[in-house]
Amino acid sequence: MNYTIGIGILNIGLALFLSPFLEGIVRKLRAFIHSRKGPPLRQPYYDLLKLLGKENLEVSPNYLLRLAPIVYLTTILIAGLLVPMGTISPPIAAAGDVIVFIYFTTLAAVIIMMSAAASESPYAQIGVSREMMMLLTVEPVIAIALITGAVNAHSLRMSDIVMWYLTNGPTVSMVIAGVSVFLAVQAQLGKLPFDISEAEQEIMGGLFIEMSGPKYALFKWGFLAKQVIFASLFCQIFVPWPATFTLWLDVPINLLKVLIVVVFVCLIDVVNPRLRIDQAIRYFLVMVFVALMGLVFALVQA
Amino acid sequence: MNIIKRLQGKFGKEILEIKEPVKGKIYLTIPKTGILNFAEYIFNELKGRFVISVGTDTRSISNDYTITYIFSLDKEKTFISLQAHVKNDDLTIDSITPIVPGANWAEREVYDMVGVYPKGHPDPRRFILADDWPDGVYPLRKDFPYDKKPESAPEMKVPLKKTSEKSTIISLGPFFPVLEEPAYFRLFVEGEQVVGCDYRGSYNHRGIEKIGDSKLTYNQIPFIAERICGICGFIHSTCYCEAVEEAAEIEVPLRAKYIRTIMLELERIHSHPLWLGIAGHIIGFETVLMQTWRMREPVMWLCEAISGNRKTYGMNIVGGVRRDIPKDLHPKIMDVLNTLEKEWRTLLKAIQGDTTLMMRLKNVGRLSNEDARKICVTGPTARGSGVRIDSRFDHPYAAYAEMGFKEFVSYPDGDTLARTLVRLEETLISIDIIKRALQEIPEGPIIAEITEEIPPGKEAVRVVEAPRGEAIHYVMTGPDNRPFRWRVRAPTYANLQAIPVMIQGASLADVPITIGSIDPCFSCTERMIIVDKKTGKERVITQKELLEYSIKEKLK
Repeated sequence: MNYTIGIGILNIGLALFLSPFLEGIVRKLRAFIHSRKGPPLRQPYYDLLKLLGKENLEVSPNYLLRLAPIVYLTTILIAGLLVPMGTISPPIAAAGDVIVFIYFTTLAAVIIMMSAAASESPYAQIGVSREMMMLLTVEPVIAIALITGAVNAHSLRMSDIVMWYLTNGPTVSMVIAGVSVFLAVQAQLGKLPFDISEAEQEIMGGLFIEMSGPKYALFKWGFLAKQVIFASLFCQIFVPWPATFTLWLDVPINLLKVLIVVVFVCLIDVVNPRLRIDQAIRYFLVMVFVALMGLVFALVQA
Repeated sequence: MNIIKRLQGKFGKEILEIKEPVKGKIYLTIPKTGILNFAEYIFNELKGRFVISVGTDTRSISNDYTITYIFSLDKEKTFISLQAHVKNDDLTIDSITPIVPGANWAEREVYDMVGVYPKGHPDPRRFILADDWPDGVYPLRKDFPYDKKPESAPEMKVPLKKTSEKSTIISLGPFFPVLEEPAYFRLFVEGEQVVGCDYRGSYNHRGIEKIGDSKLTYNQIPFIAERICGICGFIHSTCYCEAVEEAAEIEVPLRAKYIRTIMLELERIHSHPLWLGIAGHIIGFETVLMQTWRMREPVMWLCEAISGNRKTYGMNIVGGVRRDIPKDLHPKIMDVLNTLEKEWRTLLKAIQGDTTLMMRLKNVGRLSNEDARKICVTGPTARGSGVRIDSRFDHPYAAYAEMGFKEFVSYPDGDTLARTLVRLEETLISIDIIKRALQEIPEGPIIAEITEEIPPGKEAVRVVEAPRGEAIHYVMTGPDNRPFRWRVRAPTYANLQAIPVMIQGASLADVPITIGSIDPCFSCTERMIIVDKKTGKERVITQKELLEYSIKEKLK
């Protein structure tokens, strides 16, 4: 029990308090590619503190708008407890945690959309419709990839999938699933070329146009935490090597892998312009088919 | 065939007066009832391109108002100015907008400014005056003092276009992240598709023409003309100076012409990277923004080394330039240009090979060749639609005739990609021009000595190819050694009118880059009257109260 609480705290700690540091590294890297100096590594912490300290403006009497940021961050953190970050089994390991994880990530997106819709800004409305379209095409890619793992391992537990993968080694189906998850993570994290629902140059931040101060801080923090969670998901489930089965070694190894993934995500972000929503959807529909191919392979092998 | 002969053959006695003081500048005086026939003939038969119309209060000269319509015949390298006199008892003239769609804004502006109403105009709403400017007050009339502030008239608020119930209104502006200056595009959107739009601009008026007409002397205007635009200031001051020089028949020393050419091309060289960076920013490609602006910076330092300023050089004056480009600066100029050329070629290749970028630029914001001609767009916007015009070639100025300028880039596709490629390749040509100019520049004086007063009653139209298109300055000289009328048309004035056509049916995501693709410069376009925009209908507290309120809050 104590062990479970321990790794629970570890996961939350990594997602909440290490994620701004990762963002700091990403910003330095981006600045380097831009031929700029970039802000200090601790800047994202300052940003969060500054936003948290600002006046909490109420743009609408709607309660949804007030509660959404807290619910959002909580949802993200629960999703964080469902992903292993240096351990084989995540802190909340129950039968079917794969399904629960998909539920919670979808829920987080739905909360953002609901709060944006509650703000009644026309820019936010367009952001909502774009986010909805993205969600409907990106979420299936991740779901299918996870189900591919589940079919292979004959279990809906994250830990079983990881163990199966570690013993059986890379198979065609898992490699396809891994690649499609990696590409979907770019969109999940709202990075270019898929930051379409925010698109400050077109709809002035879209979903977040009415968010400011502490509310925006919580959303921002949630996004930073998401970066660690999705990178960990990819690293631990689809590239589980090397696994030493010792906590104090596996956690740093996972962090290193997460850093590499985040750097790659940043590189894609820096060298791409924003796609139009129709172009992005066409792209992810192809990805859905690719992920389905992986699933077919898994079913044939099973 | 000779243009004058063709005009005389067609219209005969209808032409009241015809003169050609300088080769390629034809001034026709016609009866006001004949304007439609003349405009139609010049636009459709002679393939003339509408440039601008000028409303002048000539009550002190001929007891009427003069409306001048300027057309450019690019192939014949000629400007035709149609002048119609409008008497005080009937202040109307037939609108030529149904024939020449590009005249839409110009005619509304003439009404706003001098009060001659365009009869039959499809959209005669107020265009350039502020929303609370009182009715019947025409600021460019000579009896209106340049420093007068009329009473606010909130009831004059310009009605906005209605839209169908199905569509949502998305406001782009008056302040918007990708518009560097205020302009208001109301987009009617169904889902993601733009089904229509309305434009309201003129938030940047500074009264530059009025102050030039009523207060400044010939040699003060170049400095205010340079401040019309923050990017292509030198273009406006050159254009103005050349217009006065043409009117007064002043011969500018060849060295001064070459120096003007070099500075004009430097301006193009620093404007195009600036544009490319902003275009990158608009589609979220920040790396392009950062890198192109880094490449641009040495050019700005070069301008500073030559003139003492990064921008707004203050070098032009009627008769020549005030500052020489010394020989010992030549190696430095060559150095900067060589580095930029190398980097620019790499960039050009990278951009052409970027598939995601191509997805965002190709087939976006299409302007057909036919529409481009109708709306009379200029510069890269025209050349991107296959209209082969470039005033450096069509109406050479500065030293372009001496240097034999003839290569210009043109693409037939009419999309944002075409306009981008035109600008990218033009930059390389500009680099070549400067290099050649530095080799060819002759020794000699840089300014012509002017001892006599400039005679009144002379007219001149001059054009300079700005990075965005052609800037046109019309000058009419007046008594007391001061200009009587000075009219400016910036390139964006023509190009912005093409936006509704370009964004019709487009995806909302493509609208910012389409607007960006004409490289709009709003403060250039809007330069006419001193406007106090602080008062509006919906306002409850005055600015003073607001200020007091905010100070009180701060003290708390």
